[in-house]
Amino acid sequence: MDLGLSRPTVEEPVPPPEPERHDQRRVPPGEWVRDNLFNSVLNGILTVVFGVIVVYALFRALRFVFVSARWEVVEANLTNLMVGLYPRSALPRVWLALGILAVAAGLGAGAASRRRRTSASRLDALKRSAPALVGLLVILSFTRTPLPALLTAAVLAVAGLSWLGGSRLPERFSRRLPLVYVAAVFAAYLAMTAAGGPGIDRWGGFLLTTSVAVGGIVLSFPLGVLLGLGRRSSFPAVRTFCVGYIEIIRGVPLITLLFIGSVTIGLFLPPGFNRPELVTRGLVVIILFTGAYLAETVRGGLQSVPVGQTEAAKAIGLSPLKTTFLIVLPQALRNVIPTLVGQFISLFKDTSLLAIIGLIELLGIAQAILFQGDFRGQGLQGETLAFAAFLYWVSCYSMSRAAQRLERRLGVGER
Amino acid sequence: MTETRLDADATRVGGTGEAMIVCEGVDKFFGDFQALKGINLQVGTQEVVVVIGPSGSGKSTLIRCINRLEKHDRGRIVVDGVEMSDDVRNISEIRREVGMVFQQFNLFPHMTVLENVTLGPRQVRHWNKRKALELGMQMLERVQIPEQASKYPGQLSGGQQQRVAIARALAMQPKVMLFDEPTSALDPEMIKEVLDAMQELAESGMTMIVVTHEMGFARSVANRVVFMSDGQIVEVGTPEHFFTDPREDRTKLFLSQIL
Ligand SMILES: Nc1ncnc2c1ncn2[C@@H]1O[C@H](COP(=O)(O)OP(=O)(O)O)[C@@H](O)[C@H]1O
Ligand SMILES: [Mg+2]
Repeated sequence: MDLGLSRPTVEEPVPPPEPERHDQRRVPPGEWVRDNLFNSVLNGILTVVFGVIVVYALFRALRFVFVSARWEVVEANLTNLMVGLYPRSALPRVWLALGILAVAAGLGAGAASRRRRTSASRLDALKRSAPALVGLLVILSFTRTPLPALLTAAVLAVAGLSWLGGSRLPERFSRRLPLVYVAAVFAAYLAMTAAGGPGIDRWGGFLLTTSVAVGGIVLSFPLGVLLGLGRRSSFPAVRTFCVGYIEIIRGVPLITLLFIGSVTIGLFLPPGFNRPELVTRGLVVIILFTGAYLAETVRGGLQSVPVGQTEAAKAIGLSPLKTTFLIVLPQALRNVIPTLVGQFISLFKDTSLLAIIGLIELLGIAQAILFQGDFRGQGLQGETLAFAAFLYWVSCYSMSRAAQRLERRLGVGER
Repeated sequence: MTETRLDADATRVGGTGEAMIVCEGVDKFFGDFQALKGINLQVGTQEVVVVIGPSGSGKSTLIRCINRLEKHDRGRIVVDGVEMSDDVRNISEIRREVGMVFQQFNLFPHMTVLENVTLGPRQVRHWNKRKALELGMQMLERVQIPEQASKYPGQLSGGQQQRVAIARALAMQPKVMLFDEPTSALDPEMIKEVLDAMQELAESGMTMIVVTHEMGFARSVANRVVFMSDGQIVEVGTPEHFFTDPREDRTKLFLSQIL
């Protein structure tokens, strides 16, 4: 571990690694196959066996998707899958919220685009947004009226305009971006619920899944940071509390905590408080659960920051609080971005456990629509589950790609 | 042992004659191990004191006690009339007046050079941004790297990083600067640029305590040289005294090893 004692004396800027070039020499395909797939009898047999398995699996999958699947179950229930039992009269609110989020995302992407002018990095940006665009197209391919496509186009247009605006904003604006994102999330929530909008207990489907995930991420992160800091606090009481909390939560499976939470959270509230909705209880449990895991990651990050950093901060007179939040935490968090994002992706997928305590999020609705009169008992879970799985994958993969970019950007020119 | 330590030189004040730093009977323990044993030292305003001595003799510990990176266990430390106590207000007052430069630079890698330099003025002295930036650029010009202002520390050479570290400390407009082996982590060809910056600083009248093995610097810049061994100040004197006629055997042995 780097304690600042054994740092290399002079740190020259590291030149960017050469792009890897495999197989500069052109190998004829026939030769390549012979050298790599049939270079011994055993390899030949393995190639044939696995080749057959792969081709067969691919064939079955493609046949399912394009021939045998009865996608009308998804088509007929697309709105259900997207928003669950959300009142249809309030759907404009959802589109408004999407528009608000599109503004923030567009501004962010636009501001970031100033740093990348080369065509290679443009291509990179396109590649990065590809999974999300494919996901959007797949969803739209199940619509029965042109309205959703038109509204989607409108949202994308808003994002595009914001992109243009973002690329013209002054540099110092990009530092405020995280603030803009948080503000946009709150504004979107208000658009959904303010002035008589349906509360989160009436949301469902993919909307509920993403909302719980976003809420979970936004709120578990500060909790994790505080617990991680508390674990290293110089106050024994704070330290003991944090260690105890972390170890207890990490010792119990999430599904158990969800059951406990769904039954008991109301019991801990002072009298006079109403028992919160099931969604709120589930969300609270997810936040408390993820916070404990994030805390351990944050602690690892804190330990990776050399003591010399704290000493230098003290030496210029920074208070302990400022030392932590301006010097130590930024470096600690940057060092653990991959792990943090992995935990956020886990959180996203863990929201499917809410189906088990009776919430109708994406997985819940995918199951529930199989009991509709039209589709009951026809063995259509393949279709609905494949669709749900596809949405989970698109979301998680997009998160992972966004994280890679963040990591690269924060790593530039430092250390 | 103690009789040789407490000679007149140890407490005599150089520079303008007013004491900027006073250490009286300072003891420091790490567990059972005593790292500082009854240190008496006064440093005058505008004086440059170079501290030499073998590794582990307590040089770092001594100067780290002066800005409370280490807490001394016994004795008094007074900086510019403020006595070091457990009171956090005292500590932060002293830290505002005392700049420090470390062997490993300890620049903040997630901030640009200019952000490193302006952090103290902005966050501790609460200056507005314009004023802080102006002063920051001034300090970078003083150590002759204004053109690196928007780079990150990781993109600079060791010598440049150490000069940024000096600028960062100076930006707090301290009355005292402490240097803990500022050139020991540098490649030989970069040592001079850092020593030059320090010499310029000394000539401008800054009060300085410098722990270093650069005897050339000690000879040409120091008002007094302090030799430490085993947590004690063994001998104090002018550079001429040290390099021509050291009195103590331990001093002679040490100098014969490094010269
Ligand atoms: N944090 C610490 N904990 C325990 N021992 C320490 C610590 N810091 C320094 N020491 C010990 O105190 C003695 C003096 O250290 P130091 O002041 O760093 O010496 P120098 O700078 O002269 O090489 C050494 O023996 C060292 O091992
Ligand atoms: Mg030392």
